[in-house]
Amino acid sequence: MISTDNIIRTENLNLWYGEKQALYDITMGILPNKITALIGPSGCGKSTLIRCFNRMNDVIDKCKITGKIFFYGNDIYEPGADAGEIRKKIGMVFQKPNPFPKTIYENVAYGSKIQGITNKNELDNIVEKSLKNAALWEEVKDRLHESAMGLSGGQQQRLCIARSLSIEPEVILMDEPCSALDPIATAKIEDLMSGLKKKYTVIIVTHNMQQAARVSDYTAYMYLGKLIEFGDTDQIFENPKEVLTENYITGRFG
Amino acid sequence: MVMKIRLPQKSILTKKFIKEKGMKIILFLSAISAIIIIFSIIIFLFRDAYPIFQRIGLGPFLTGMRWNPVGQPPLYGAFPLIIATLLVTLGAMVIAIPLSIGSAIFISEIATPRVKIIIKPAVELLAGIPSVVFGFFGLIVLTTWIRISFNVPTGETWLAGSILLGIMAIPTITSVAEDAISSVPREYKEGSLAVGASRWQTISKIIVPSAMSGITAAIILGIGRAIGETMAVMMVCGNPAYGLIPQPITNVFAPIKTLTATLGIEMGEVATGSNHYYALFGLALILLIITLIVNILATVILGRLKEKQRKSKKKKPVISYEFGRKIKQTFYLLIGTIVIAILFITVGLLPTIGIITLIVVIYYLLRKISVKVQQRLAFSAITATIIIVIIFLGIILAYIVTNGVGALSWDFITTGPTNLGRSGGIFPAIIGTLYLVAGAIAIALPLGVGAAVYLHEYTKEGIITKIIRTGADLLNGTPSIVFGLFGFAFFVLYLKLGFSLLAGQITLAFMILPTIIRTTEEALKCVPQSLREGSYALGASKWQTIQKVVLPPAAPGILTGAILGIGRAAGETAPILFTAVVFSDFISSSVLQPVNALPYHLFTLATSIPGSQQNQAGTALVLLLLVIGIYFIAILLRNQFRKKMKW
Ligand SMILES: Nc1ncnc2c1ncn2[C@@H]1O[C@H](COP(=O)(O)OP(=O)(O)OP(=O)(O)O)[C@@H](O)[C@H]1O
Ligand SMILES: [Mg+2]
Repeated sequence: MISTDNIIRTENLNLWYGEKQALYDITMGILPNKITALIGPSGCGKSTLIRCFNRMNDVIDKCKITGKIFFYGNDIYEPGADAGEIRKKIGMVFQKPNPFPKTIYENVAYGSKIQGITNKNELDNIVEKSLKNAALWEEVKDRLHESAMGLSGGQQQRLCIARSLSIEPEVILMDEPCSALDPIATAKIEDLMSGLKKKYTVIIVTHNMQQAARVSDYTAYMYLGKLIEFGDTDQIFENPKEVLTENYITGRFG
Repeated sequence: MVMKIRLPQKSILTKKFIKEKGMKIILFLSAISAIIIIFSIIIFLFRDAYPIFQRIGLGPFLTGMRWNPVGQPPLYGAFPLIIATLLVTLGAMVIAIPLSIGSAIFISEIATPRVKIIIKPAVELLAGIPSVVFGFFGLIVLTTWIRISFNVPTGETWLAGSILLGIMAIPTITSVAEDAISSVPREYKEGSLAVGASRWQTISKIIVPSAMSGITAAIILGIGRAIGETMAVMMVCGNPAYGLIPQPITNVFAPIKTLTATLGIEMGEVATGSNHYYALFGLALILLIITLIVNILATVILGRLKEKQRKSKKKKPVISYEFGRKIKQTFYLLIGTIVIAILFITVGLLPTIGIITLIVVIYYLLRKISVKVQQRLAFSAITATIIIVIIFLGIILAYIVTNGVGALSWDFITTGPTNLGRSGGIFPAIIGTLYLVAGAIAIALPLGVGAAVYLHEYTKEGIITKIIRTGADLLNGTPSIVFGLFGFAFFVLYLKLGFSLLAGQITLAFMILPTIIRTTEEALKCVPQSLREGSYALGASKWQTIQKVVLPPAAPGILTGAILGIGRAAGETAPILFTAVVFSDFISSSVLQPVNALPYHLFTLATSIPGSQQNQAGTALVLLLLVIGIYFIAILLRNQFRKKMKW
């Protein structure tokens, strides 16, 4: 979906882990206030790609990148670019819920505190608002000062969503956010996502085809590090142009 | 397909059965050896300490303010010695804790892989330098430096002891703390970075707090190490008469006499069975109890940590999170108060207020500056810590190499000493060290490997393994001088082996046993379960499987442990001081004769033979080359082994 409206755009993105190439020549554009799903078989590079968008691959020593990624027209891999600033605008929710071993309150307030907000009232408001947006407030409002490790998996994942919402990013990246959750918790998070789209741009990696079809506006199919097909979710699922895509979504993949 | 089943003949079956059973018993006995040894140590120390408690009373012994066993009347007050031990340790920690934690953070979070490959072994090398070499360096270089730069009458002071012990504790604290920091789940780090935190914010607010209990354990282990160290403190602290504590108590330029130094100096000249003799065992018992408590504390903290990592789902905590936080806050408040109190006593009221205001101002200034600048400052400070550590290492190595290389020659290592070691070579000492080490490893290796095999292959994790492991940990934390006293009481006197090679070999063997058990267990852990199952599937018995399938791939790992043990045994002085060594040039022809050894030769030259400077440095260099060479081989082997072990 290359267009002038793109909030994120990659151009000829290649990525290597040491000698091994994991992404080949990816050029794609993400439209704002939409949900874009990345699908594809295990190991095809979905996580690798989504972790490029907020420079999370920086923490991996042997990772090398060529090509460009623009966020509002600015190349995020430009030498002077500050990864921290980029990540404040592009939040991320991980596959395994990863709350810090701190209280629920501290988890949500962390992002604001490191930006230098110290006012107690302001922090309280941020925590409450973020937990409400992540549909977790009702469940935890009486135990904000208990350890986040005592929450259930689904609650932990919503806490992580609240944590990423707390600093009001513009984009939220989600890497298989429901894969560690049961169907009820998954449904809660899916509900949440459609609500999020009003304010945020969402990119989600998923293995669950129904989930992609249900929640996303656009879908990208990846295979062996290449972007095979990218289009309207309805079109991809009902009328794929590429044989590879068709094989995958009809389950004739092998 | 038709199978012919050949049943084993009955006689073979029973023979095999007996062999299996027999092996199991032998292994079990090796496994409990660590426990037996630690208990024997406690019992024998107590046995020989008891008379003094009986004669002058435990209370007066512990609280007496003067230690003067040769005076009229003799005074046996251990209090100043205990205080001195604590003071020297405190000073050492002031130096070691910031440097070690900084180095640990640097190695695990900041260094690029290429830098890490060099820095980590360098710090480990520091651990390999024998304590008598540290003492030699301290005696000649450090004390002189202190005397001149601070313009004090003697450099043999509390400060010298603390600096030296601080440097010696750095590798222990760094490696345990680095483990703790590296094992913080990567998910925490990513979670923090993902909300825009800088690397430094992530390290200081998430990673280090998450690793706090491991870091605490590292510090406690470092404290244990410092409390138990003998040779270095004995050589640089001055050891004043009566063991008087510094006046005022904060005077770091006063000489000081620790528990270990007292044992090291006086044990050699005391008459067996005298009050003085019993009193020394009393001191050793106090020392052992202090280090046991310290090590149990570390073991408990580390054990809890492992449990926490194993169980991802936690049970409801016993105390609420809020309450836990209150406890922590109170604890930090307490520490703060103590630090302020110490400051107040040392420098007075006005400077204390000055220092506190300065800290507060700096704190607020730091918060005002940008995140980027904060990170740059923090990283510079951390990098500075590792540079300081490397400089320490460099200075010590450079001093010994430049001064020792002049003495080095073929004759030096192949002939005996003349003129009390002022000239001539060190051949007998080299041979003595080789004898001691060979005997120690010959005893410790089978025992340690047996214990590890039993722990890992024959039992499930449970109360027995826990007890045995705790025993090994405690043995590991036992001060080397305590081994020396035990060896004297048990082998030399009780078993009537006399001052002999054999007594020294066994004492050293006991000391390196825990190292061998631990490294062998690590190696066994790396042997994949599928290999064992494959062997059982072919009908092999347990012992056959271990012998043919498990031990061969574990051999390089076990060898690494053995080499580390050899290195440790070659460098130690305190355990052989009262069991095996004499300052002589004769080469023993039987295990019942005493020997000379490199560390002891160096110690004697440095402390009692004036005019032997050239040969001191030469001996130090040979010892250093020997021990560091051994460690270097172990490190190389281990790295090689780790690479291969990624199946
Ligand atoms: N840190 C790394 N070092 C080396 N290779 C890596 C690393 N991370 C991923 N890879 C490799 O890169 C390729 C893409 O991995 P990636 O995790 O992006 O796949 P994925 O599509 O997210 O798979 P999954 O659906 O299983 O999560 C894989 O072949 C993987 O082995
Ligand atoms: Mg993935």
